[in-house]
Amino acid sequence: MSASGTAVVSGVGLALPGADTPDALLRGAHAPGRAPEPFDTGARIGRRGHRYKDRATQLALCAALDALRDAALVAPTDGTDGESLTVPGDTIGVVASSNLGNLDTACLTAAAITEGSARSLSPMSLPNASSNVIASWVAIRHGLRGPNLMLCNGPTSGLDAVHWAATLVAAGRVRRALVVGVETRNAVVADLLARPADDLLDGAAALVIEGARWADERGARAAAVLGPYERRAGLAGCVRALLPEGGERPGVWFTPERYEEPTADTADTAAPVPPHVPRHDVTAAFGRASGALGVLQCAAAVGWLGTARAGTGTGEALITSGDDTADAVAGLLLRGPDAPLPEVSARSAMSEISAMECT
Amino acid sequence: MSQLVTGAGAVVSVGEGVDEVFSALCAGTSGLGELRGFAPDRYRGRHAYEIDDRPGPGADVPGRATAWLLRAVGEAARQAGLGEDLSGVPVLVGTGLRELRSAELAWRDGTAFDTRARLHFGTALRERFGAVRTHTFAGACSASLYALALGSDLLATGAEDTVIVAGVDTVTESMYGLLDRVNAEPPDRVRPFDRERRGVLMGDGAAAVVLRREESGARSGALGRLRAVSMNCDARHVTAPDAQGIVRAVYEAQQRAGVTPGDIDLVLLHGTGTQLNDSAEATAIAEVFGPEVTTPLMTAIKSMTGHTSGSSGLVSLIVALKSLASGRIPPTLGLIDPLPEAAAFRFVREPSPADVAGLRFAQIDAFGFGGVNAVAIVERAGT
Repeated sequence: MSASGTAVVSGVGLALPGADTPDALLRGAHAPGRAPEPFDTGARIGRRGHRYKDRATQLALCAALDALRDAALVAPTDGTDGESLTVPGDTIGVVASSNLGNLDTACLTAAAITEGSARSLSPMSLPNASSNVIASWVAIRHGLRGPNLMLCNGPTSGLDAVHWAATLVAAGRVRRALVVGVETRNAVVADLLARPADDLLDGAAALVIEGARWADERGARAAAVLGPYERRAGLAGCVRALLPEGGERPGVWFTPERYEEPTADTADTAAPVPPHVPRHDVTAAFGRASGALGVLQCAAAVGWLGTARAGTGTGEALITSGDDTADAVAGLLLRGPDAPLPEVSARSAMSEISAMECT
Repeated sequence: MSQLVTGAGAVVSVGEGVDEVFSALCAGTSGLGELRGFAPDRYRGRHAYEIDDRPGPGADVPGRATAWLLRAVGEAARQAGLGEDLSGVPVLVGTGLRELRSAELAWRDGTAFDTRARLHFGTALRERFGAVRTHTFAGACSASLYALALGSDLLATGAEDTVIVAGVDTVTESMYGLLDRVNAEPPDRVRPFDRERRGVLMGDGAAAVVLRREESGARSGALGRLRAVSMNCDARHVTAPDAQGIVRAVYEAQQRAGVTPGDIDLVLLHGTGTQLNDSAEATAIAEVFGPEVTTPLMTAIKSMTGHTSGSSGLVSLIVALKSLASGRIPPTLGLIDPLPEAAAFRFVREPSPADVAGLRFAQIDAFGFGGVNAVAIVERAGT
């Protein structure tokens, strides 16, 4: 039985090239020239589902559907070939995360106006000019009438989205929230980020974050339990806030994008996580993930909790997004569903840690 | 548990600073102007409600929205006595369009802009205030009231004692152009709830409030009390509003606040001047308020600020708090012949005489693309 304030992961969905299940996110980089084909959104949601939607929205809809199915929140409707919700739509919120999703619409539209005029624009682009279009379409597709949030919060955005989903549940706004992290690549994004397009993610990941009691009530299986979350200045500070000194070590560390261990030349201090804790960078295989990163990491952590946790450390996964060059670093602990744990209040473990630092 | 607004800041086309903005709006001042930052011959419409701070006509620069946000947050924090160090305070920013205008300039003109670090507002908030618990939410035109709801939840669950909530938007060329494309006839101004309304024109704006948990015996001097904020999603259409979604949001806000329609003295309507919004909003308000629809005074300040998008809900909320405190209410400029659904509404139409006595509760509406609705209920300070 779970504590009343606990939130769990009760569903995972993916729309990624060459990875159908969370454990497939644990693999390393592709061999050069062996990159899988781009994810085929039509195979999942049908061609009709694409009309007037940008690529990021299409990918998000694919991951969202996969997660809702995994959580048994949608089921085939009797007598039709469609699916419908198994719970009322106003008990489900949406928290999407993407930094780059509609950059192409904004920039290409502005350029088209300069080359011609606003008369030449397609009115069908209008929704895509608004930065929350991804969260909107996910809600419309499935009739999700709870709060509808869209995080565009830089490198930490995906983990922040998971945090806000848990906050919506903790505050009683909804019983569950669908989190979707998505990014895509195109000429506009590659140019503005000054990165090669083939080093950027084209995909989405989704999670259902649900109050433990509400998951229990409908007999849903919890794949992971959310631990504390922090958003701090710098990687070391964030990790310290989540893992008090003398506490148990995590069983795995999902590192920030392209994390490099301190070397003798660069390091004044040791790595923030003990060296024998296994590291995993999900962006090695799937590309730089920006606003999708945290969600992708959580999905990978669910894969790790399901396959490899026995006998390693505490069985907790430490997840961090953002590094010392970013405005902040976000961190989250995910635990296996069977691990005993204290109630995760919104104040989390931090007040205790602060108190210790003060004494 | 109740929550106090202990500081506020605002920057819009009609002025800078809460007192200046409120005075200008009460006097019926419009921020309408000819397009300043875009080439006007590319559009049928020629007007917007812009903050006039560009280096010259037609010359646009990146980072304007960020600069207004920092000024609004600074004003609110100062008034609340938080000072310049916000390292321990969560800052939640609601926005429709982030710094997408800067990205447009970077892509099209090669203007220097760090897309990785400055499309969201956390980097600038850390540089200026040392803030690290910062969150940029894209929530279209209800973004700042959505952020207010989330901030309010952080206080209600006991996670925080103080949060800063802000909203900001500047006009992007892509959004201005696409709205220009879909308007049947280009509007020359925003005329909320008038039968002759022709659509929306966008405006620049930023607003911020400091929200604190109310402790018994704590010092007074707050601007007012936040009673509740609702948030939901129509889940119906990606741009068109749905009256039933709005009805649910208004009911929920009043229920959370423990008030009924007859308690509401003032409504700051969303009122964008589009055919669809004003009709859906008026229908929803009439349905929820029923026979009490003639009780509250009503106004729509987008008639003077234009549609300040993600910041608009919080700009309206600050105006509502000032109106409750002062008894002065800004008019709905240009409203001559209300649409039939709003025929019974008590609109404020003239620059207001001072001292409408006894105002206590105000309702603030904000609705956005994607069917995202948020409604706040505030109460006069000292009650």
